[in-house]
Amino acid sequence: MTLLAKKMFRELLHLKGQMLAVTAVVACGISVFVSMSSVKYSLEASREQYYSKYRFSEVFLQVKRAPEQYREAVLRIPGVASVSSRIVADVTLDVPGLDEPATGRLISVPEYRTESVLNDLFIESGRYIEPGHPEEVIASKPFLEANGLSPGDRIAAVINGRRKQLVIVGMGLSPEYIYEVQPGSFFPDKRRFGVFWMGRRALESALDMSGAFNDLSLTLAHGASEKDIIMRLDQMFRRYGSLGAYGRSEQLSDRFIVDEIKQVGIQITFLPAVFLAVAIFLLNMVLRRIVATQRDQIAVLKAMGFSNEEVGLHYLGFAMIPTAAGAVAGTLLGAWLGRELMNIYADFYNFAELVYLFRAEDLVLSVLLSFAAALIGALGAVRSAVRLPPAEAMRPESPVVYRKGVLDRPSLQKKISVPARIILRNLERRPWKAALSVVMISLAVAILIAGRYTYDAVERMVQVEFNEKHREDVTVVFNDPMPPSVAYSVTSLPGVLEHEYYREEPVSMRFAHRIRRQSVKGLQSADGLQRLVDKRNRQVDLPTSGILLTSDLAAILGVRRGDTLGIEFLQGRQLRREVRVAGTIDEILGLSAYMHIRELDSLAGDGGAFNAAYLRIDQTKAGELYSEFKNMPGVGSIMMLKALKESFDELIAESMMTSTFILTSFACVLAFAVVYNGARISLSERSRELVSLRVLGMTRGEISFILLGEQALLTLLAVPLGFLSGTGLSALLAIALSSELYRLPLVFGASNFLFAFAVVVLVSAVSAAAVRRRLVGLDLVEALKTRE
Amino acid sequence: MESDSGSNPHVPPVLKISGLSKTYLMGEVIVDALKNVSIDFFAGELVVLLGASGSGKSTLLNIIGGLDVPSGGKLFFYGREITAATEAELTAYRRRSIGFVFQFYNLISSLSALENVQLVTEIAENPMPAEEALRLVGLGSRLNHFPAQLSGGEQQRVAIARAVAKRPELLLCDEPTGALDYQTGKLVLEVIEKVNRELGTTTLVITHNASIAGMADRVVRLGSGEVTEDRRNPARKTPSELVW
Repeated sequence: MTLLAKKMFRELLHLKGQMLAVTAVVACGISVFVSMSSVKYSLEASREQYYSKYRFSEVFLQVKRAPEQYREAVLRIPGVASVSSRIVADVTLDVPGLDEPATGRLISVPEYRTESVLNDLFIESGRYIEPGHPEEVIASKPFLEANGLSPGDRIAAVINGRRKQLVIVGMGLSPEYIYEVQPGSFFPDKRRFGVFWMGRRALESALDMSGAFNDLSLTLAHGASEKDIIMRLDQMFRRYGSLGAYGRSEQLSDRFIVDEIKQVGIQITFLPAVFLAVAIFLLNMVLRRIVATQRDQIAVLKAMGFSNEEVGLHYLGFAMIPTAAGAVAGTLLGAWLGRELMNIYADFYNFAELVYLFRAEDLVLSVLLSFAAALIGALGAVRSAVRLPPAEAMRPESPVVYRKGVLDRPSLQKKISVPARIILRNLERRPWKAALSVVMISLAVAILIAGRYTYDAVERMVQVEFNEKHREDVTVVFNDPMPPSVAYSVTSLPGVLEHEYYREEPVSMRFAHRIRRQSVKGLQSADGLQRLVDKRNRQVDLPTSGILLTSDLAAILGVRRGDTLGIEFLQGRQLRREVRVAGTIDEILGLSAYMHIRELDSLAGDGGAFNAAYLRIDQTKAGELYSEFKNMPGVGSIMMLKALKESFDELIAESMMTSTFILTSFACVLAFAVVYNGARISLSERSRELVSLRVLGMTRGEISFILLGEQALLTLLAVPLGFLSGTGLSALLAIALSSELYRLPLVFGASNFLFAFAVVVLVSAVSAAAVRRRLVGLDLVEALKTRE
Repeated sequence: MESDSGSNPHVPPVLKISGLSKTYLMGEVIVDALKNVSIDFFAGELVVLLGASGSGKSTLLNIIGGLDVPSGGKLFFYGREITAATEAELTAYRRRSIGFVFQFYNLISSLSALENVQLVTEIAENPMPAEEALRLVGLGSRLNHFPAQLSGGEQQRVAIARAVAKRPELLLCDEPTGALDYQTGKLVLEVIEKVNRELGTTTLVITHNASIAGMADRVVRLGSGEVTEDRRNPARKTPSELVW
């Protein structure tokens, strides 16, 4: 090791507190970058790999019932590579150990498993079904695990009005249900919804569907136009009650994953940028101070014949070493964090194999990014070291010139004590440094606020969705629309206190050239068991005439209030109608369209029908009611609001806790690093002054006030700025994280701001205490001996 | 050691030092900075403490000023034992009773001349107005100048004004002319002499410059940590009469 290197390492060791702060900030930034990039890449790779290995379809279509020979016809459409016809039905399940009824989605699979089958299953345990055993099913892993079931167990299902015992022979996963949610729901309820794969013959006979299918999925040839094929399919299956074909981008499970990947991508850019900016700021501060205190040494080095380059590189090393240490620590931490995050993702997303990959490119990029930060941070200080002429460097730095400023108006002067004046003048003399310090601390506040914001947003989401919007206990969805006379039987069930039927009709909406598949919900009132509530928790009226669209749906269609929207019913009489847009509603979840049920019935031209009912039930009679449901024919799915909320809370709690914890710790590191370094540098610049004051009779408290008061003032100034930028950051986050699936409401609890304030004040106090220890430990005699 | 000490048995001393010693550990070497020093200082005296570098004069001054604690011996200030004081009591002692003037002035660069003095008058119990202290040192017209706008001599005079503004019982000056040129140094000494004469503040000036001894009532010489001479000048010279 050269002697210069030895000098550098010894001095770095001497400055270890400040250098560790820089290292920690770099490590935070790099770990976010590394973990998020690896998570993004791993999710993409897991999805890609899963889809291709298990031949996930590209176009999907649900029909009422179509003859099997149409499969061949579809195969003949140019651009179609392969087609799989299936029977899919939602049934009520009686799960051992579960009081409430659950919903099972039965999907037919070929009795003989072939190489080319689309949407193939990954059998994690047990086996595939055997021909000649119609009772055998493969069940989805999340459902089995949540219910403590395993291959060999039995489960009862009401299929086509008949109760059947199903034997679970395998535990499987399908690329179609990476995100496994009940139709009509956004949140997984693993206990009460499961997917079951059953032999085609068995399902055909159970549902009286022999020679027919109701679900089609296909893959496309390379270069084929998805749009054209969807159009052909829609024409072909119109008369078979087609709900409209759609591509992967509208497949619910894929939508969730793609949105998730997009959201991770946003975090890759934003957070590391903040941390690296802070690292640049810290390095700049620390290095300028090092060069200032080592003027004489620079002079001696140059006098001895060291070149400007050698001197420059020497001081660049002071930035590079802590940064490199931060990059290494950050990479290791990021790799670990990425793996932990993937474990959390594994709770939400059911991949056959969750690959965790760490790309060399990301590593290289993180190294380059951190070195770029070091270089930028060190630039000013290194340049001044290089440019310093040796003779000038021998002389002490010329004294700092202070001038009277704004604070020196006679009226103000009387009110401000002399120690406070020292603080204010220091800030006034280097306003940019002070302003940057404030900005950096405010970033920590902003990160804290944005971190907790998602918490508040989700809480609001839960409040609106589960408390305000939905007041029913149970939603019963019928397999087929029922005429009112039949549907009313539900109300006579034991324990039903209140009921409200609604109608949901799949339609194709058209405005100008824009077409969108969508369902329209016909409600009886806006104030029944389902209320119309926007994301700000304000109630919206149900129009007596016309259609109410969620704002995003209106934007997609390009319609405004008063426009006339074309709607085409996809089932029943398949009428084409026109309806006036009565208004929009800014909801949290999904895209919806609402009408009064009377108008919907009249537009459909069928004299009225119900698809589903909301029920409010007497909890003391719930058991009785549930057992009725478990044997009730014609029920497709049953949703329990409370259970849904509980499972959502449970699922979201862990991931929210983790991300809030990570963000909070990182923000603490950031705040600590900025305040600690600021105070250390002030201490180094002013220790002589402060010791003189001690000698003049000031107490430790009084000089601590002068030194730390400055940092305290900066912190306090940073808090409101942080509140402001945190709010802005949250707004950006709300936009970036919103999709067609959900929109985060911009809400903040007072506790969010209080928490951010408390954390920053606490962290500043801790760093101040660390510096104060040095301040009171200063040797009075030693500090007076020499002139700086 | 000469025996013509200035002790006056009828007046109690401001400062009574008995058997003071100070041992440092410099790296692995033990240095005896002070060895059994006993000396008294009396009210209103202007004493010059002479000694070469390493003689122990700064150590003595630091202990007198409550900046350092001795390894042995005792120091009484108006009969109160300073060597037994706690840290807080030492701070209060410096705050009330001691005025310090340093070689390198040690002014607060962000405060004007007036404010540097006010810094002390704000925390003192019975200070003179800061303006008056500055007028005393001849800087009545430069109240609002910052240290960087003042010459070395002017800065040292601000430091003196700061030290005397609290009306200390003891003014300690550590090489007050050490960083100044001849003319400026003399000017600063004149101010110290004036303060001592007009305010009657007991004043200790430490210096390695023997020529300064002429302005003192009493001259104490230190060498290798011991008092080697303690004598009274028959008459004080004015600083303008000093030559070096």
